[in-house]
Amino acid sequence: MSKEKKGKVNEEKYSMDTQIIYGKDVSSKWDYSHHVTAPISSSTTFRLDSVDRGALGFMQFAHTDDQDDQTPILIYDRLGEPNKDMLEENLAHVEKGEMAVTFASGMSAISGVLGVLTQTGDQIITHTTLYGCTISLFKNWYPRYNIEVKTIDLTVAANIENVANENTRVIYFETPANPNMDIIDLAALRKIVDELNESREEAQKIQIVVDNTFATPFCQRPIELGSDFTVHSLTKGIAGFGTDMGGVVIGRNEYRDALLLYRKDFGGVLNPKSAWAILTYGLPSLGLRQKQQIASAMRIAKFLEENPKVEKVSYPGLESFKYYELAKKQMSDFHGNFAPGSLLFFTLKGSTPSDCKEKGRKFMDFAADNAYTLTLAVSLGHTRTLIEHPASMTHSVIPPDDLADHGIDAGGIRLAIGLENVEDILKDLSDSLDVV
Amino acid sequence: MGFSTDAIHAGQSPDPTTGAVMTPIYMTTTYAQPELGLNKGYEYGRTNNLTREALENNIAVLEKGKYGIAFSSGVAAVHSLMGLLKPGDHVIASKHIYGGTYKVFENFISNYGIEFSWVDMSSIENIEPVIKTSTKLVFMETPSNPLLKLTDLKAGAEICNKHDLISVADNTFMTPYFQRPIELGVDIVIHSSTKYLNGHSDVIGGIVVTNNEEYHQRLRFMQKSLGAVPSPFDCWLTLRSTKTLAVRMEKHNQNSIAVAKYLKDKNYIKKIYYPGLLEHPQHELAKRQMSGFGGIVTVDFGDINIAKKLFKNTKIFELAESLGGVESLLNHSATMTHASVPEKERLEMGITDSLVRISVGIEDVEDLISDIENAIK
Repeated sequence: MSKEKKGKVNEEKYSMDTQIIYGKDVSSKWDYSHHVTAPISSSTTFRLDSVDRGALGFMQFAHTDDQDDQTPILIYDRLGEPNKDMLEENLAHVEKGEMAVTFASGMSAISGVLGVLTQTGDQIITHTTLYGCTISLFKNWYPRYNIEVKTIDLTVAANIENVANENTRVIYFETPANPNMDIIDLAALRKIVDELNESREEAQKIQIVVDNTFATPFCQRPIELGSDFTVHSLTKGIAGFGTDMGGVVIGRNEYRDALLLYRKDFGGVLNPKSAWAILTYGLPSLGLRQKQQIASAMRIAKFLEENPKVEKVSYPGLESFKYYELAKKQMSDFHGNFAPGSLLFFTLKGSTPSDCKEKGRKFMDFAADNAYTLTLAVSLGHTRTLIEHPASMTHSVIPPDDLADHGIDAGGIRLAIGLENVEDILKDLSDSLDVV
Repeated sequence: MGFSTDAIHAGQSPDPTTGAVMTPIYMTTTYAQPELGLNKGYEYGRTNNLTREALENNIAVLEKGKYGIAFSSGVAAVHSLMGLLKPGDHVIASKHIYGGTYKVFENFISNYGIEFSWVDMSSIENIEPVIKTSTKLVFMETPSNPLLKLTDLKAGAEICNKHDLISVADNTFMTPYFQRPIELGVDIVIHSSTKYLNGHSDVIGGIVVTNNEEYHQRLRFMQKSLGAVPSPFDCWLTLRSTKTLAVRMEKHNQNSIAVAKYLKDKNYIKKIYYPGLLEHPQHELAKRQMSGFGGIVTVDFGDINIAKKLFKNTKIFELAESLGGVESLLNHSATMTHASVPEKERLEMGITDSLVRISVGIEDVEDLISDIENAIK
């Protein structure tokens, strides 16, 4: 927004529903002044005016402390450009973090924050159930750098005490977890990590990193609940329309420079056109979309739970859900209402595990061919309801025999609710279940 | 500055607030006003847009004009000329004009009490006899679509000056790289920027350029009031395209000369139209007013079956409307661009059923020639 506005607005006195539309009232990131909607930056390089100013720009890059919230001297898109800068400011604000650094994709953000926090010899503790590509990152790449990734059941926070050692640097997890919706108690974890950190030097302290993609900041702000960093695949609920890829790391100011350097040198930068779309369409409509999707997810979860062909439904909003009470404590919208999210995971009944899987396949194939509102596709947080089979798609990196160890039912079905009229989704689900 | 330098720099100074070397896509539709009655010259996206301004200034400079006024299509640009006319006025237009322009004039603007005369402007002396006291504007298009008949722009502009008429030239086929009507005395240049100016068959657009302050004001008013404005994104894409206009036009020209030379003596060709060939009846005029001959070659096979063979069998050339893109296209004028012209008039014009307009792209010319050869074989 305009720097030329006379008064300085105190954003905090407005509700977050309003703040996600406006972000910071006065941004030093781009004085595009009287334009009501931000322009799309489309320059890879920026005029530096003089050698001295150029030198100052390079000196100031990744030196947050020296900048004092002045307008940055822009040099080159990979280092920073106004659309990303504005989006970062708003994402940090909505996630209650001090700063945000965007990346080209969710995986780029995850590998970015872990790249900054760990080095050879360090240990990362993670949860048994994780997004398939994150598992792949840990399994296929980290052994090369001799970074140990210890997988444990984090739904029991005390388990950390059994595996944490002097090399532990990061506790990394998703809550809800992809795809089985496991919920991890952030407050309990924070307490244990604080105890472990008590005797540690600053650089040796264990950092809690939470992937908040499933919940989105509308349903949950992990930093408020005790995480040090929040990461997102912006591609999902935040961008919201299935048109743009992106990722973000949100956390304390002291890590901003390292993240900027990492992004500059590894090059996983978010393109400005996507940053603009997320800034202009994605984030401002997040609340409206989430409200609709949560209401639909609740109806659908109940419908599935009552359907005789369904074995089990995992949705944080269901009282029957294993972590219901914890979900109620952790997942709430900007006004404190329970906000159990837009994803659910369910399994069909069968005589044997392979029968369950076969029935699930039949159900999804029928939906793929016949349903108007169910699209068989990976990704989530879309305007369209997406259905997928984690064991053969998003989590195919896990060998079939190991699926159970990762808390994933071989026949499990992940449903990411879109913005359709819920009656239509229910109709398509019902028709597809009828053929099983 | 030279043409290529202007194409790359004109109208595009680095963004003042960030130093961005390339023009941003200014997306806002509205502008915040600091107080009642005060704005920074920008109020609403239909009236002002910075990306559009950059494009307008860029093409104005290339056409050696002061003012550019961009539209959402070429025919929207043609429509804006109505802003220069009033009921009772008379317009003289080229008989060999693009079908879409013909339709705007004959089927629409004529309903507002404006009268049209259609003359063969390949002989410029045909204009003066139809001038009357109510004549206001002369509309030329050179080379014409699809028969590539030329109009002597300098002579046309002189006649208009003598009789105090507004001279307009459609410069879509040549682009300012090969022909600059304003330098030859013409008042207003008009383009379908969909064609060579954008050049990649992915943006529909039009633009009008003039040096005349009064015409500029009236056309600007039409842009604002008719509202047929291009989107900032389309302006940005077109602005990206004009940067390569010079190299694209050079290659279109080279390839077209090669294709025309290859085809001209083939026994399956009844007639070939290309201003770059010595055989073109206006080749001398072409050399005088154009610095190249463009990317359109039109051929009459004399037999529709040969044309059909070509349409069916080519692997590179696609049968499609439009022209001026980097990819080569074929067009059957009788059923496509000139379908709205009554058959008798169409045949009189020379647009036979066996006529094919070839928009020669910038592919490797050997491939283009062998594609035609193999298709007809």
